[in-house]
This record gives sequence, C-alpha cells and structure tokens, in this order.
Amino acid sequence: MVDLQVEIVPGLVLKNPVMTASGTFGYGREYTPYLDIAKLGAIITKGLSLKPKTGNPGTRITETACGMLNAIGLENIGIERFLSDELPQLKQLGADVIVNIFGNNQDDYAAIAARLDQVAGIKALEINISCPNVKAGGIQFGTDPQAAANLVAAVRRVTTLPLITKLSPNVSDITKVAEAVADAGSDVLSLINTLVGLAVDIDSRRPLLGNITGGLSGPAIKPVALRLVHQVVKAVDIPVIGIGGIASARDALEFLLVGARAVEIGTANFINPQIGLEIVTGISDYLEQHEYEKVTDFIGSLQV
Amino acid sequence: MYLFTGKIVSNRQLTRDIRYLRITAPAEFCRQAAPGRFVMLGCDDGLFDPLLKRPFGIMNRGDDWFEVLIKEVGRGTLQLGELAEGSCVSGHGPLGNGYPEVDSELRSKDSSPLILVAGGMGIASIASCLLFNNRRPLNPDCKTILLYGAARLDELLLLDEIEKNSADLRIETITDDGSSGRRGWVTELLENELRQHPASLTFACGPEPMLKNVQQVLCKFKTRGYLSLENRMACGFGVCLGCVQKMAATGDNGAGESAKVCTQGPVFPADKVVF
Ligand SMILES: Cc1cc2nc3c(=O)[nH]c(=O)nc-3n(C[C@H](O)[C@H](O)[C@H](O)COP(=O)(O)OP(=O)(O)OC[C@H]3O[C@@H](n4cnc5c(N)ncnc54)[C@H](O)[C@@H]3O)c2cc1C
Ligand SMILES: Cc1cc2nc3c(=O)[nH]c(=O)nc-3n(C[C@H](O)[C@H](O)[C@H](O)COP(=O)(O)O)c2cc1C
Ligand code: FES
Repeated sequence: MVDLQVEIVPGLVLKNPVMTASGTFGYGREYTPYLDIAKLGAIITKGLSLKPKTGNPGTRITETACGMLNAIGLENIGIERFLSDELPQLKQLGADVIVNIFGNNQDDYAAIAARLDQVAGIKALEINISCPNVKAGGIQFGTDPQAAANLVAAVRRVTTLPLITKLSPNVSDITKVAEAVADAGSDVLSLINTLVGLAVDIDSRRPLLGNITGGLSGPAIKPVALRLVHQVVKAVDIPVIGIGGIASARDALEFLLVGARAVEIGTANFINPQIGLEIVTGISDYLEQHEYEKVTDFIGSLQV
Repeated sequence: MYLFTGKIVSNRQLTRDIRYLRITAPAEFCRQAAPGRFVMLGCDDGLFDPLLKRPFGIMNRGDDWFEVLIKEVGRGTLQLGELAEGSCVSGHGPLGNGYPEVDSELRSKDSSPLILVAGGMGIASIASCLLFNNRRPLNPDCKTILLYGAARLDELLLLDEIEKNSADLRIETITDDGSSGRRGWVTELLENELRQHPASLTFACGPEPMLKNVQQVLCKFKTRGYLSLENRMACGFGVCLGCVQKMAATGDNGAGESAKVCTQGPVFPADKVVF
C-alpha cells in the first residue's frame, strides 16, 4: 500500500491529496449517491457569504472547446444555513470539510472567518479572492497584491484555522500576489480559479452568457494552470494546491510532479461524479507500479 | 440514479436533423424512469470534446432499454445523433422529478380531461406520459387530449407510435406554416379546449416562448397545469447552479426565489415559474 497522506501544514493533514473544488461539489451531500465523500482528501464547499446570495440572471453556462464558461455569480445559501443544515450532515458522513468564503469587502471576509473560527468540523478556510463573475467580492482583491495582502491579514487576525488563499490567473504576474498573501499570513495557496473568457453567437450577434463574460474551466485550462503552479511553487515557501482541468489520475500527478502538495478537481465532477475517488485509486496504482512508498516522494520531483 | 454505459440498439433518422435512439440501460434505471424524468448522455470517448453530457427527456422505456429523441442543434447532439448501432454512450440518470401522478391530481375533478401540450421537441417529454406502460390508460374516467405543435408537417413526430400505444386519446395538431392542415400556435388549441373543459389539468413541454404563452392561457382560465423546462445544464444533479430558474416568492418577504431545474424540476407548477 502506497502512503497517500499529505501534511499541507501541521494543522492540515489530508488522508490523500485529492480534494474537490469549490462550486463544483455543491455542499457535498449531493454526491453521496455516487461516492463515499469521507474517502476524499477533503471537500471544499461552494463559496459562502455572510448572507444568502442569488446569482446572475440569464444563461449561466456555455460549453467551449474542451472546457466550459460559467457565470453563476456565487449563488449560495449563506453561512448560517450552511452551519445549521449542511455541516452537521457532513460531519456525520465523516467528510473532511474546507469552507470556501467570499465577501463584498474586507469586513465581510473577516466576519465570516470569525464566525467559523470556533466551529467544530471545519478543517481550513479557503479565501476566494479570484471569482471573475461578480463585480464586488473576489477579483478586485485578487488582482492587486496590496489589497490581497490587507484582506488576508484581516482574516488572519480573526481565525486560528489554516488559511488557504485561492489565486486568480487573470493577472500579469501571479507571483506578486502569491508573495504578498504569503507574507500577510496565508498558510497555503490554491490556484487557479477560472480564466476570464467570452463566447458570442454570430447569428444572434449576442454574447452566449447573460453576464457577457464568464470563467473558463475544464481540460482546456490545464496547461495554463500547470505553468502557474510551477511558477508559484518556485516563488514562495508555503505549500501550493493545484487546480485546473484535472480529469484523470495522470492529470493530478502532473500537478504533484511540478510541486503541488495536493490538487482540487472541479469541472470533471460534473461529467463523472465518481471521478474524485477514481483519481485517488489511480494515483495509488500509478505510484505502486512505479515503486513509490509514499506520495510525498513523488511530489515536486520534476526534473528540468 | 445510475451512471452506466449503454449500447445503441437502434438509431432511426426521422427528419433531416432528428434522431430516434433506443439505448440499453440497467434494469434499475428503467424501473426508476418515470414520465418527465431525464437522462444525461455523452460519448465519453476520453477526448473531452464535447465535454459535458447533454440532457434528454426519457421518452419510453422497457425492461433494459430506453428511448430518446434527439434534435441535432450543436456539437453534442450531432455527435450523439451520429452514433451507429452497437456504439457505446455514457449515461447518468434517471434525473429530475417528472410529472405528478395523474390519478391523484384528477380524482376530484371527475370527467375533466388531461391535456398534454407539446411544442417541437417537447414531444419527447410529453409522449413519455403516454408511452410508459404503467400510465396506460392514464385514467379510466378521464379523456386525454394531446395538442401538438411543430414548425412543419414533417416535424410532427411519431404520431402513429403515440396513437398505437395510447388508450382513449384524441390528438390535435397544428404547424407554424399550416402544412398539417391547421396553421398557428399550439396555445390556440389549448384555449379552445379550456373553453370547453375549464377544470382540466394541463402538462406542457416545449420552447420557452411557448411555455410562457401556456402559462398565460392557464392563468386566464384559472386552471392548473405543469410546465417542463429545458434550461441549459452542466451537471444535471444539482451541484453547478447553471440551470437555476426564477420562481414566484412563496415566503412573505416578497423576494423571488429560485429553483434548480435539474433536481427540483424539470416539471414545475405553472403558476410558480417566473419567465
Ligand atoms: C431537461 C431537458 C430535457 C431535454 N430533452 C430533450 C429531448 O428530449 N430532445 C432534444 O433533442 N433535446 C432535449 N433537450 C435539449 C438538449 O439538451 C439540447 O439541445 C442540447 O443540450 C444541445 O447540445 P449541443 O451540444 O448539441 O448544442 P450546443 O452547441 O450546446 O448549442 C447549440 C444550440 O442549442 C441551443 N441549446 C443548448 N442547450 C439547450 C437546451 N438545454 N435547451 C434548448 N436549447 C439549447 C443553444 O442555444 C444553441 O443555439 C433537453 C434539455 C433539458 C434541459
Ligand atoms: C460552475 C462553477 C462554479 C464555481 N464556483 C466557484 C466558487 O464558488 N468559488 C471558487 O473559489 N471557485 C469556484 N469555481 C472555480 C473552481 O473551483 C476551479 O477553480 C476552476 O473551475 C478550475 O478547475 P477545473 O478546471 O478543474 O474546473 C467554480 C467553477 C465552476 C465551473
Ligand atoms: S444542471 Fe447543475 S445544478 Fe442543475
């Protein structure tokens, strides 16, 4: 048996390096007919805000070559309903839960983090500073290193939970934001969120999404994500989690190879709700065949 | 619901761009299929293009097969429509809620008919109410009327099949160009029927503009009905929030609510949907 356990930081040890990405796994419970969610490294919730939020009007998704554009707009049930209606069941199911949070401003982020600090059954917080689909909240923090650092510092002050900051690829130099949030107290970085894209219909001469632009995800973005993870791993000393276009065990292993300590599976969950555990098994099988004793021996072993 | 690999048993071309596929499925899938429920289908050839599965109404089913009608409108439907007999498809379903039980809905209304309204490809979902064996006859005490509108005569599909498999059914058709004899919209037929039988129950499936009109007609006659929606879907099982439809507020805060068409629908009470 290959040892798949990874310690991201001392307070955040995962039974295996495979997690599910925010916004693609609902609140977790929806997947119980398909797999035992307790066997995943962790599940990451849909982005949660202080108050419930409705999403964007009009068409919210459209498929593009080997990928999809979404403009959901961070629709969610709000933190209180998550705590009362969803978290108890996730605990009962034995899932390791990471909560993804966002807000309209720094105070919102800090308020959610403070609210979750003493809640049992939450392993870590993932701060979304990178959603391209809402005007306020998210991306304006993710593209400005100083704003991102201030935000992370504000959240850091009110929580003892491990903090993961989720970075946007929609910047000219991702290492600037990465270094700024690492200095401000983020324990871990995760990347990438979706790439801003546009799809139009030449017949109706209209954009295909109600929000006009959307976030591109799926296999189409994997090379971009891999390059950014590689770049950030070299630039910072804190652990990095790789996200973007992962749809097989080999894809996941590519991210581990370039130095990601763990991965998150997103869009692929829509196509095959069992993909998360298939990837866990696939990673284990590959490492066993290649005579690794533990996954940590493989992580970061890229030779250039 | 099940994730399965099915085999194409047959693929009949009904018109230039409409295919009628029979696909194998696990017995349990077939048992859980009910009128108005749907299935996500994809080729799953490992190439990720098209990437997502596509939703289709389950029109009919047997012990170990089901049937879908597919209109080729883009890359996903083109690829599925071209599948030869014996090829594999990956399926996920049955998903969604389906139409309510006719018996219990109509019991108090003695002899009022059930009116089924289909527009274009909406016939796939509507026909499931007739073709599923356990629904035949739909209700011994009530007549069923099928009102079916399409663009042209050749797009009025499977009328023989439907007639053959339904007991006590009256069919009225209408086309946009008049090629079936009557020209106009299917909602005109609905108005005629409701004028005579105002206590009917109506099920409707079709393009959004048609459903909007059906909703208005039902509202005008103050009569009950259900609409089956076909919003864009990425996942089909309630996790992406891509399919969300605005719904009338039920609480007292006055704020509109929303519903996931894939899990809370696709069939909704007509008066709840906000277009
Ligand atoms: C619950 C449900 C049941 C359905 N049942 C059937 C059925 O029985 N038979 C059938 O032929 N189709 C059905 N549809 C519609 C079908 O899923 C779409 O036509 C299909 O997803 C289009 O995929 P594509 O890749 O070919 O087209 P794309 O390349 O994605 O799009 C091509 C064109 O199709 C339109 N389109 C895309 N998705 C939809 C949609 N969900 N509804 C309407 N138009 C769409 C787009 O606006 C565009 O103009 C159903 C949809 C839903 C949600
Ligand atoms: C429909 C959809 C909704 C998403 N919602 C969120 C969200 O609420 N919060 C967040 O941080 N990321 C969100 N994401 C981004 C994903 O978590 C992930 O970063 C991105 O999709 C890239 O990974 P993938 O290619 O494996 O999908 C969403 C992605 C999709 C496709
Ligand atoms: S299609 Fe994904 S939530 Fe309905």
